[in-house]
Amino acid sequence: MIGVEITVGQWLLVVLAGALLGLDAVSWPQAMASRPLVAGTLGGLLFGAPAAGFLAGAWLELVTSRHPPFGAARYPETGPAALIAGAAYALSASSTISGLVAATLAGWTIGWIGMHSIAALRSYNARLVADPRAFAGQPAEVARRHRRAIRMDAARAALLTGVLFVPAALGVRLLGSLDPGPLGTAWSPALAIAGLAGVAGIGARTLGSRRRRWVPFAVGAGAGLLVAWLVP
Amino acid sequence: MRPRRTDFVAAFLRSFAIQGSWNYRTLIGGGLAFALSPLLARIHAGDPVALGESIERHAAPFNAHPYLSPIAIGALARLEQEDEDPETLSRFRAALRAPLGALGDQAVWAGWRPVCAFGAILAHGLGVGPLTAALGFLVIYNVGHVALRAWGLRLGWRTGLSVGAALARTPLKQASTYLVPVGQALIGAVAALLIARAPGLRPEPWMAGLATGAALGGYLLPRPMAIVSLAGLFLACLIWVL
Repeated sequence: MIGVEITVGQWLLVVLAGALLGLDAVSWPQAMASRPLVAGTLGGLLFGAPAAGFLAGAWLELVTSRHPPFGAARYPETGPAALIAGAAYALSASSTISGLVAATLAGWTIGWIGMHSIAALRSYNARLVADPRAFAGQPAEVARRHRRAIRMDAARAALLTGVLFVPAALGVRLLGSLDPGPLGTAWSPALAIAGLAGVAGIGARTLGSRRRRWVPFAVGAGAGLLVAWLVP
Repeated sequence: MRPRRTDFVAAFLRSFAIQGSWNYRTLIGGGLAFALSPLLARIHAGDPVALGESIERHAAPFNAHPYLSPIAIGALARLEQEDEDPETLSRFRAALRAPLGALGDQAVWAGWRPVCAFGAILAHGLGVGPLTAALGFLVIYNVGHVALRAWGLRLGWRTGLSVGAALARTPLKQASTYLVPVGQALIGAVAALLIARAPGLRPEPWMAGLATGAALGGYLLPRPMAIVSLAGLFLACLIWVL
């Protein structure tokens, strides 16, 4: 029997944190508390394991690095997604690579669901503020409609977190607790390594947008290996 | 009437919520009108018709990087203060969009943010605790963030119509040319560190070769490798269960 113990109080705390982190990315105040490394750490902290949350957040930070919010681009929402990933990985108490990859993928999937919910909210916002005549030239009316859009964003993020947190936690717990078969023992770590290294390469390329800048990326990778070898 | 210091403070604070009503028709037009309102209310005090017209004008479609939007807020308020004609205001607004977007994307999203985020993860790899690393990221990143917004509002108000020339003289563009390679190097370092320390993994030489190949593949062939990399992560979970 696989399960996770979550009290109503903890669930409410996660939902509240999800609402605030959902707001942070776009609506207010864009302090980047919604970045995976912060939101993941917070998710882990809520269940007594900030280091586990940080690790899930760090993996998700790499996976989402290929989606910078340039212009009006669509990109996975990171706040509630990383919060759930960090909390789910902390709750799973997993020490296998499958648990960590499952938490990362849960965060990535929730991030894209979040993006679709943001797209729906943006269509709603158009009805709220896109006609300047609706303001009737009143600063108070501008503020009222703008604040309503922000409250709707908080409600959206809270709903997303409240609905997806428990299923994600159960899924990560299940994968993290399973013993692998011979195929999994042989191939899962290799696939996980290749997947993470691949998205890191894409992320570095996306930032630079020029091939000739592969040197800093390669030098950094070498330095990272050195740190891993020298620092226990 | 000239705006007071409190009006600038209100506009500055409201700029943090400029994307609050982001939509596909006017983008951050509603947010710009919201952030400009305290300044416009003072500039057009006692003239509700002029105030109403200016609110409508600035709620029209607009976009900019959110951290650089205070430059537009300051410059547009200056033009309203100088009673520029609506045609000039409209053309000026349109001309500001592209440079404020491109400059912010490169300097902040591709530069400052990855440097701070991956720097914090690397610091954790060097022994800094997870909470300290996450809080350190928030503090250091936001020193730059808040300073950029405050500087932008001052620059916009001080320079008005000539804000474009003033922007060209700022070190923002140059900063991004240094920050981006640092961010790329940090991504490489963090990827290597996370792979080497993946839970339950016994590092072997062939794994380093595989990771190097995948990373270079991702860098040189980003589109096909995006699918291959994510499929790899999904398959890692699927095969584990089999």
